[in-house]
Amino acid sequence: MSLIPSNALRRKVQSTLAAVLLTGVSAMAVVAQERPVQGGTLVYLEQQAHTNLYPPAGGFYPNSGILNQITDKLTWQNPETLQNEPWIAESWEINADATEYTFKLRSGVTFSDGTPLDAAAVARNFDTFGLGNKELGYPVAEAINNYDHSEVVDAQTIKFVFKKPAPGFLQATSVIGSGIVAPSVLDQPYAELGDATKIIGSGAFVIESEVLGQSLNLKVREDYAWGPANVDHQGRAYLDAIQYIVTPEDSVRIGALLAGQADIIRQIQAYDEPQVEAQSYTVLSAPTRGVNNNVSFRPENPLVRDLKVRQALTAATNSAEIVSTLFSSHYPQATSVIASTASGYVDLSEKLAFDLEKAKALLDEAGWVPGADGIREKDGAKLELNVYESLPQPQNRATLQLLSQQWGVVGVKLNVLAGDSGSAATDNLDPLKTPLRPAMVGRADPDVIKSNFFPTNRDSLLQKGGSNANATWEDPELNALLLSIASEPNPEKRIALTGDVQAYLLDQAYVIPIFEEPQVFASAPYVHDVSFDAVARPSFYNTWLSAR
Amino acid sequence: MTRLLVSRIGQAAIVLLLAFTASFLLLQALPGDAILIKYQNPEMGLTPEQIAEIRVLYGADAPIWVQYGNTLWNFLQGSFGYSVQAGVPVNPLLATNLPPTLRLASLGLVVAVIIAGALAFAATLAPFAWLRNLLQSLPALMISVPVFWLGIMLIQIFSFRLRLVPIINPSEFQALILPVVTLSLPIAAPLAQILIRSLDEVQTQPFVSVARAKGASRAWVLWRHVLRNALLPVLTIAGVLFGELLAGAVVTETVFGINGLGRITEQAVSNQDTAVLQAIVILAAVGFVLINLLVDLVAPLIDPRLNTPIGASA
Repeated sequence: MSLIPSNALRRKVQSTLAAVLLTGVSAMAVVAQERPVQGGTLVYLEQQAHTNLYPPAGGFYPNSGILNQITDKLTWQNPETLQNEPWIAESWEINADATEYTFKLRSGVTFSDGTPLDAAAVARNFDTFGLGNKELGYPVAEAINNYDHSEVVDAQTIKFVFKKPAPGFLQATSVIGSGIVAPSVLDQPYAELGDATKIIGSGAFVIESEVLGQSLNLKVREDYAWGPANVDHQGRAYLDAIQYIVTPEDSVRIGALLAGQADIIRQIQAYDEPQVEAQSYTVLSAPTRGVNNNVSFRPENPLVRDLKVRQALTAATNSAEIVSTLFSSHYPQATSVIASTASGYVDLSEKLAFDLEKAKALLDEAGWVPGADGIREKDGAKLELNVYESLPQPQNRATLQLLSQQWGVVGVKLNVLAGDSGSAATDNLDPLKTPLRPAMVGRADPDVIKSNFFPTNRDSLLQKGGSNANATWEDPELNALLLSIASEPNPEKRIALTGDVQAYLLDQAYVIPIFEEPQVFASAPYVHDVSFDAVARPSFYNTWLSAR
Repeated sequence: MTRLLVSRIGQAAIVLLLAFTASFLLLQALPGDAILIKYQNPEMGLTPEQIAEIRVLYGADAPIWVQYGNTLWNFLQGSFGYSVQAGVPVNPLLATNLPPTLRLASLGLVVAVIIAGALAFAATLAPFAWLRNLLQSLPALMISVPVFWLGIMLIQIFSFRLRLVPIINPSEFQALILPVVTLSLPIAAPLAQILIRSLDEVQTQPFVSVARAKGASRAWVLWRHVLRNALLPVLTIAGVLFGELLAGAVVTETVFGINGLGRITEQAVSNQDTAVLQAIVILAAVGFVLINLLVDLVAPLIDPRLNTPIGASA
């Protein structure tokens, strides 16, 4: 779970207790000890180099870890309540059918090159995000649906108009992909935005220098005065600088942290957590609040087209065993398609119950009988499925191998493949080669389910009209449900629809959710107040370093 | 001599064109491509149409022979195209990554030669037979140690336990110590093996006995008479070791998290970043051609017999 609320709470409780129980002098001593100190450089070890810093490319963690420090957004999604609160936008109005959004901007905000962040700049950003730019190669941002155009009302007022209702847009203004950059950035070709020094934002930190693929230096912006309105800390960030160093090797990242050479590292595996905690270092885990880590079926493939087979495999999956064997308390067992911290979540754990007898009975009913080698057969075909491991997901190969053992008990063979990325990317578009695929998406809005399953989005099920040009299979009922979530202006109805689609996906057994995927970081004891946005992207605006 | 050079340069041009063509065809034959790998990644959240548009933008939708012609033309003009994965042109990528790798590789080679030489002399001159045997079997051990394991062990011991050199934010000198050691040991091993055997062979020749009979010490004979004669096979193998250096740099740079050609090679291979790979193949081919030319030019200085044209005596 997110550590921010508990930390904040603990600090409040501590200082209250101190004030009540102790004398004024000692109470002040306690408070003084807790007071943030300005200065210092945070050394951050990242597993992979960033690829492109166009804000909508921020879905990739290494990109967003940087973007979150150098850009600001129109609104701030409170990670505790998931409500959108003022940031660069002081206030906003939404019309009844969610086709027009008008934002009033804070005045006096500037980009780090001195140009103003005004309505014209915001218009330029969202026009590019919402419509793309074919000439320069900018794709449309995933989070923005049904965008039509923007209107600059006056220097501090901007209006966005949508073709169809876009109820997810307010939340979309707060996501990592909607960081606002100087218009001059968007004049450059998309293919050149891997160069961090070209990215100019209005954030609390500024890119200072870069060694491509190795390290990146950020320095504090002294005149920063426009943090999210409801964050206690205002003004410049406490840190003087942040240094990102790409360190691909897991053991080197952890070793360097524990040897005092680094202050915070991203991506530590569950089996390394005890080693970190044993030395009183902190494991920071933040939920991604989206579609859970799962395997999704491609019903185009005849082996998994039968609902009974998919239901049998769901019943044969023991996700509790996967979580307890491979992971830690930071990886809660999945109880629905989306995480329990996601908006619109409904507990559907009874649909995911582990039941070997039921699994066997369903496979028998479907006509799959055990063959001589224990693998079930039907009309001469074996129930043998292939799946590629997904490298970005935590311990995905081990997860799939354990799943393969579990399915083996009921006579289904699951081959876990680890091909090169080219073969994996190609085969994953062919349902006959890959009847299932691991997937997950993080975004704290009900639109996230559409992102994962809709054919023209991530198309997890490989439906007709999606990524696979030869697909013939589709589920119009599912797609209609997904579309209705993306365009239902009434929030209560939208939440109800989100519940319906979760139940539908599990009734059809299109997806087997396994666990709620967190992002896990580790930090040194003297690093304080690292915060995370609603989808686990770190923010170092509040972070400070005490004496070692 | 000029004639030799001209014909060698002509050969080199043909080798380079063949290397370019072969690598182009092989990379095209692989399933998938860099655009698919980067943009089909669900974390990017792009639709199939958007990916198709990106493909057009990179010119990756053109027929293969058009792409071949375009790439070759650009290469001849010194422009290596765009890295899809890193989102930057290839030229600055190489400009940033070539110098550190050259430094690492050349220091690695120098240290490897020193280690190999010291080991070979010690193995030949050591006083006891068991000690000579032990030293002679050391290269076999060194060659069997996986580079990534060696690198991680060196980091664990010298950086994390003993805290002698930091891995994160080291000074320029500190940054080289462990990687150079890691890279040089597996290179030193075959050099030492060949030098030991070659020294052994030369030592059995009659002129060595003559020199010893005249009263020269073993070390003197070894240094003055044997070494020069034993060096030729080593020099030949040194040309081949250039490839080993590049391969070693891939692992060393990744383990130590340092910038360089090896690291971008590794990333380009796993992401099928064709433009980067093509540039690296050409760079490596140029390297091989230059080193072999150098070996051919230096060899006659060590063994003057090589200078006599083969046809002259006939």
